[in-house]
Amino acid sequence: MRLAEITGAIQTAAGRVPRGVYAVIGFAIAAVFPLLNVAGVVETAWLRVGVVSLLFVMLSLGLNIVMGETGLLNLGYIAFFAFGAYTTALLSSPKFELQWPFLAVVVLSTLIAMVAGFVIGLPTLRLRGDYLAIVTLAFGEIVRLTIVNLQGLTNGPNGITGIYPPRLLGAEALEAAGSSGAAAWLVVDKPIEYYYLVLACVIVTSVLLSNLKNSRVGRAWNALREDELAAVATGITASRAKLLSVVLSAGIAGFAGSLFAYYSNVISPESFLFMQSVIVVCMVVLGGMGSIPGVIIGAIVLQALPQIIRQAAGAARSDFEVYRMLIFGILIVVMVIFRPEGLLPDKLWRREAREVDPRELEKTRQSLFDLEEGEKDLEV
Amino acid sequence: MASEQQQTPLLEFRDVQTFYGRIQILKGVNYQVHPGEIVCLLGGNASGKSTTMKTILGIVKPAKGQVVWEGEVINNLRTAERIKRGVATVPENRRLFPHLTVLENLEMGAYTRSDAAGIAEDLERVYEFFPKLAERRKQRAGTLSGGEQQMVAFGRALMSRPKLICMDEPSMGLSPALVDQNFDLIQQVNEQGVAVFVVEQNATAALSIAHRGYVLQGGRVVIEGTAADLLDNPELKRAYLGG
Repeated sequence: MRLAEITGAIQTAAGRVPRGVYAVIGFAIAAVFPLLNVAGVVETAWLRVGVVSLLFVMLSLGLNIVMGETGLLNLGYIAFFAFGAYTTALLSSPKFELQWPFLAVVVLSTLIAMVAGFVIGLPTLRLRGDYLAIVTLAFGEIVRLTIVNLQGLTNGPNGITGIYPPRLLGAEALEAAGSSGAAAWLVVDKPIEYYYLVLACVIVTSVLLSNLKNSRVGRAWNALREDELAAVATGITASRAKLLSVVLSAGIAGFAGSLFAYYSNVISPESFLFMQSVIVVCMVVLGGMGSIPGVIIGAIVLQALPQIIRQAAGAARSDFEVYRMLIFGILIVVMVIFRPEGLLPDKLWRREAREVDPRELEKTRQSLFDLEEGEKDLEV
Repeated sequence: MASEQQQTPLLEFRDVQTFYGRIQILKGVNYQVHPGEIVCLLGGNASGKSTTMKTILGIVKPAKGQVVWEGEVINNLRTAERIKRGVATVPENRRLFPHLTVLENLEMGAYTRSDAAGIAEDLERVYEFFPKLAERRKQRAGTLSGGEQQMVAFGRALMSRPKLICMDEPSMGLSPALVDQNFDLIQQVNEQGVAVFVVEQNATAALSIAHRGYVLQGGRVVIEGTAADLLDNPELKRAYLGG
């Protein structure tokens, strides 16, 4: 009783704090984290974990648009990540001896992923549920196998190596002006620099997405997820709204893929396995579908947790990889049973997960009514 | 009634034919709905009633013939555009967004509009019309009783400020008492000047409030006339009214 009162008071107090405050605190912690490395408290390896976690945060934010907002399952999401990564690798590596400016490469990588999203989205959006899952799964595998076999373009399983580091806007100008020392500052090549670059991209993406969520577009996505026919009847053009969500989520994956290619310097088909798609799905489910803070937490937990366990396991680290997916699987099963709405749930998803679906209730009521009254009276 | 026939109909079907693949559903039908009228469309299963609804909304496009809105052919207009011009719908089984609140459901009805002041005004009008909904504005639509849900469905349709409301089987799945209440609501909404096109199997209830009616059979209109004529029609009596 007492405890319930206290937790209740905490909850109402917490409810009064505007959500933006939590976001600022969260991003501030993320921004301070690398300073611990500078101060020598944490190893650089953790900074690398941070960069990869942030890249997965972007992927989860992107997948959340289709899965969380619009309610479409995508099991081949990593393919869009691959489109972005390979576009970047081809435009900024010795492969074709190209070194396009960073901004142009990132934008083009995003656009190409969006085109891929459009091309796969257009014919498949009539499908639902299981069928959509199968088609997107196949799409992911087709893209990966194409990369493996299109040796002339992608170097097949060997991947593309020696991707040039990003040179931010103005680096060329400074170099031309003869101050190569200052230009070196604008070249992103240290983990800490990558960390801040990716963090900035994550912040921009999440701010844009949370605005979008509360816009007309966001409401249309949610309405489509709740009841497609009713949504169409209120004037939402279902195909257009769904396509927009698929294209946008593909674009975010392409953006993340581009940053990933720059950061990892080398990319190969191994980075785009089906399991990667599954992991991103897990991040969204664990964090809370439709919830932007939720999926950010989900991505960090699932990306950082294995690293922490690996460190803790010490000598047994080689064994850990074997059990990684098993642990993920158990975690997801436990979540679905005890907290199906995710760690930090979205308001609407919590209702969907926790409340009895009134449509089911209606069906039961209807069948009881039919038993009592008989169908004849209804039909006249 | 004769004078009403002179003016441009709100909605008109001219020899409309529709197909699902190679199967023809509507085999050349003609309907007219005039401003402020209640028109009912009667017919059994598989007669083409739901297809008529879908054709009005633009979910199904006619293969031949014309769908005319206020004198303009709208065959290829998207659903959203039609709603903007004044078509609203109360779908079969109401189809509310069950996890959204009453208010959120009503707001979805105004999805195609962007005039915030007008929307607020219409929201007040809906609350005035259905005081129960004002009381329950924060409640989830799915937890309301059947009758209240019907009010939300109506309110949602009214939120687009329609000239015509299309109702698909409003009596479906409701108890007899609620069916009466529902048809009262239709009349009340109609008294506000909104035309109503009711698709129904329950012929007695529909004809009791309608001005005119059409009877659809196998994709063709077999009987049409005023509600009084239809109630007296011996064929219809035999088929629907058990007379």
